[in-house]
Amino acid sequence: MNMLNPILARLKKMPRAALITIGLFVALGTFAPWLAPQDPSAQNLLEAGLGPMAAHWLGTDHLGRDTFSRLIIAANTSLVSVGSVLGIAMTIGIVLGTIAGYHRGWVDDLLMRIVDVGLSVPSLIISLAVIGIVGPGYWTMVLALALAWWPMSGRISRAVAVSIMSKPHIEALRVLGASPWRIYFGHLLPGTIGSVMVYATADAGTAALAVATLSFLGLGIQPPTPEWGQMLVDALPYLESDPRQVLLPGLALTAAVIGFNTLGESIALNRIPKPLTRRMLAARRLEVASWDKENSDA
Amino acid sequence: MRDEALLNVSNLTVNLLTAKSAVRPVDGVSYSVRQGECLAIVGESGSGKTVMNFAPLGLMPTGVTTMLSGSVKLEGRELIGLPEPEIQKLRGKSVGFIFQDPMSALNPVRRIGRQIAEMAELHLNMTPRAAEARALELVKLVGISDPVARLRQYPHELSGGLRQRIVIAIALAGEPKLLIADEPTTALDVTVQAQILRLLKDVQRRLDMAMVLITHDMGVVAGAADNIVVMYAARAAECGPVDKVLVSPRHPYTRGLINAIPRREDPIGSEFRGLPGIPPTLGAPIKGCALAPRCELAVPACSNSRPPLVRSDDSSVLVACPVVNQGKAAA
Amino acid sequence: MIHFISKRLKHSLVLLFMASLVCFTLVVSAPGNVAVLIAELRGAVATPGYVEQVAEEIGLHKPLLMRYVDWLGDAVRGDFGISYRTGTDVSADLANRMFVTGTLIVGSAAIATLISLALGFLGAFWPYKLPDRVSRGLALLGASTPTFFVGALMIYGFSVTFQLLPSFGFNGPKSWILPWLTVAVLPAAVLSRVVRVGLEEAMTSPFVLTAKSKGLGRTAILFREALPNITPLFINALGTQVGLMTATAIIVEPLFAWQGLGDYFLAGVRFRDFMVVQACLLIFLTFFIVVNLIVDLAVLLTDPRIRRQWS
Ligand SMILES: Nc1ncnc2c1ncn2[C@@H]1O[C@H](COP(=O)(O)OP(=O)(O)OP(=O)(O)O)[C@@H](O)[C@H]1O
Ligand code: SF4
Ligand SMILES: [Mg+2]
Repeated sequence: MNMLNPILARLKKMPRAALITIGLFVALGTFAPWLAPQDPSAQNLLEAGLGPMAAHWLGTDHLGRDTFSRLIIAANTSLVSVGSVLGIAMTIGIVLGTIAGYHRGWVDDLLMRIVDVGLSVPSLIISLAVIGIVGPGYWTMVLALALAWWPMSGRISRAVAVSIMSKPHIEALRVLGASPWRIYFGHLLPGTIGSVMVYATADAGTAALAVATLSFLGLGIQPPTPEWGQMLVDALPYLESDPRQVLLPGLALTAAVIGFNTLGESIALNRIPKPLTRRMLAARRLEVASWDKENSDA
Repeated sequence: MRDEALLNVSNLTVNLLTAKSAVRPVDGVSYSVRQGECLAIVGESGSGKTVMNFAPLGLMPTGVTTMLSGSVKLEGRELIGLPEPEIQKLRGKSVGFIFQDPMSALNPVRRIGRQIAEMAELHLNMTPRAAEARALELVKLVGISDPVARLRQYPHELSGGLRQRIVIAIALAGEPKLLIADEPTTALDVTVQAQILRLLKDVQRRLDMAMVLITHDMGVVAGAADNIVVMYAARAAECGPVDKVLVSPRHPYTRGLINAIPRREDPIGSEFRGLPGIPPTLGAPIKGCALAPRCELAVPACSNSRPPLVRSDDSSVLVACPVVNQGKAAA
Repeated sequence: MIHFISKRLKHSLVLLFMASLVCFTLVVSAPGNVAVLIAELRGAVATPGYVEQVAEEIGLHKPLLMRYVDWLGDAVRGDFGISYRTGTDVSADLANRMFVTGTLIVGSAAIATLISLALGFLGAFWPYKLPDRVSRGLALLGASTPTFFVGALMIYGFSVTFQLLPSFGFNGPKSWILPWLTVAVLPAAVLSRVVRVGLEEAMTSPFVLTAKSKGLGRTAILFREALPNITPLFINALGTQVGLMTATAIIVEPLFAWQGLGDYFLAGVRFRDFMVVQACLLIFLTFFIVVNLIVDLAVLLTDPRIRRQWS
């Protein structure tokens, strides 16, 4: 439970529009199979490249597949793969980061050096190199992206772990002879997981972009599974005649990423003081005016 | 001209509105400074000294909305209500400022020479070259050795005392008529404090400027100032000529302050004689006398209404304490 | 100063060595028998005998250390071996492709710098007012729109709808504009936030109060006082973004039919042409190391505080 509390506390302070977008994305992604009105892979060449109509709310693509259904199923594809990537990356990052933060010394130095190098190479290049060597495929993509993503959570968990370890009550526990296991699993790990998850959520937008980019390049999600990046690249040859099929998946993806990025920015910026809003200013002025009234009454 | 005050503040009230709260750090304070004179402003931390001097000249940090009322006249010109661009023209030109912490007052990535010279360019319409020459002159004036080399250095290469001298040089560069020094020695080593103070006194006399000196240190007041304003919780408790106020303090708070100065005849290890209790946190103005909870002489009436500043019959000293004033009158 | 530079150079050399090890290991550890691949590539039937012969020829039986030394020696001399797919010399393609990608990165970096400074200043000059909100909205949009979607929109807008600019090919400045803009969007968005937030933080520092007390106006304070303070920060962020542009090039070059390094690398990955992947990866890594070196030296020049620590 103490893992959830900091997350809930922070959720309250976050921009509502971002939360709604993310909520929509997650809900669509989770319930996609029940929400999609039609079979996303059912081709019908007789109905190819149609505009919006009653049977196909957002028209059909060049193979006559229902675009609306495909967009919804693609949210599911995206959600599942982003979830897997972040899940694996966070597990690696948290385990290595907390070990580094607990142990310090050379373990810490070595791990953080690796993290630095990992962070300085663009994730697309890391994952493409892995795919180039191992060969494309769903799990290659997930693992390759996780490999590119863990250093971030590694660095954050290490920083959080170091600050937890230097808190007085942990010192006290240590002096009192609590076992390292108890300190690690009872205090360090739960504390770190809570904080890292918030950052990971904010990072999900970039992960979604990466999945879409690899799919766009033909090295991620393979057809016929619909995915936004892949839908976009499929429609690209028909850009001139049917731009809608390019725009729709692009907009869907952009909206989801904007949601996550707004969240990320609000996390990064909340330490800078904001100026007074007009309404607050008016309230303060009223407060001050009341002082003068009291004084003149007296 | 000497009789006309250069700076005339009357009944100044400042409200600060921030996202968290509204406070009134200055509440109906009046004082004036003449050319060639030095006015000391003393008071505990948070009593509103800085806000009182900086807010009317538009020098408040971002994120704070300032509300001013009362009157602040500089050379007969009303500052309150003056639009910001006009006030901007006065800063640096008519009024020079010296800050509490010289370590952070200078831009770390700009050469010292530029930071001084741009003042001369801005206010004396000098060419960059002439301004450099002026900067060199100023650096010599504030007593810095090896001035040519110093101009090409960056702030972090200098000690605190040297940096404060640079800040003084910047303040003097526009040839202001009024110098506002906000605790110019608080952040410095004890040995350097005396030097900087002597320097300030010296340039003030030489350039015949008016100076407002904000300080905690009664020793500084005695050595440098002509007049004094004692602030307590946003209000002036007592003000008047230094020789009168320091020699025979009347307001209980001023007495407490002067009493708190360690004396030579104190036995070693004797108890520190500060004022008991802590100053009130500012917020809404206090109805009665703000000192009441800490005051030895307090009577119930003290908390009822705000004590007015009253001129004592014998002198130019003003005291905001009816108990003391009436006692005097009765005697 | 000299001490710092030599130390920093040594650090870069160590990184280069590590980068070469990574590239080498990656290919050595690739699944599958390289000799079979090459044998098939040469059109021969991959009989065990012939495979053995190929393996002997490319030195597969030598100890790993020897193979590394041979490979590194060749690579340093600019010989990156033969493409498994086309059978041509990898290095023959590289020079021209590096020029194409170089054009892409230099142009985009310049555009991103200009746009981000303009947007950042706009926001810092009128903080939390309309220009700031617009600049912030644009930054959010730019940072969230997938690059391939930006490219598609550019093509749709400028080539298909208005027919102003060519949508593909690398022939002359007119054909460079769309790819430049496409690559510049993301870094411009990210950097504009760096400028905006950096300026705002600089504007709350105590020396800004000093500057105000001097009678300087807001414009002068922003440019004279705050800008020099965020320069090191900006250079650092720009370095990161220039590094990232190699990744963007992988997406954008194929989109606009540019034959650059990104396109080469992608083809290498698609067809599992290890020699191409290896060569491109080594060039990319070297590029990051060099960019980082330049950034550190530039920061040294722009920040006197660091300069003093090292002199
Ligand atoms: N930027 C600000 N935001 C909010 N309140 C402020 C700000 N600056 C000052 N105040 C309020 O004004 C009061 C007086 O502050 P001021 O800096 O004038 O005190 P001071 O007498 O100069 O103290 P010190 O001796 O510590 O410099 C403070 O107690 C604080 O409540
Ligand atoms: S008014 Fe009353 S409380 Fe205030 S100083 Fe005088 S005696 Fe003390
Ligand atoms: Mg102060």
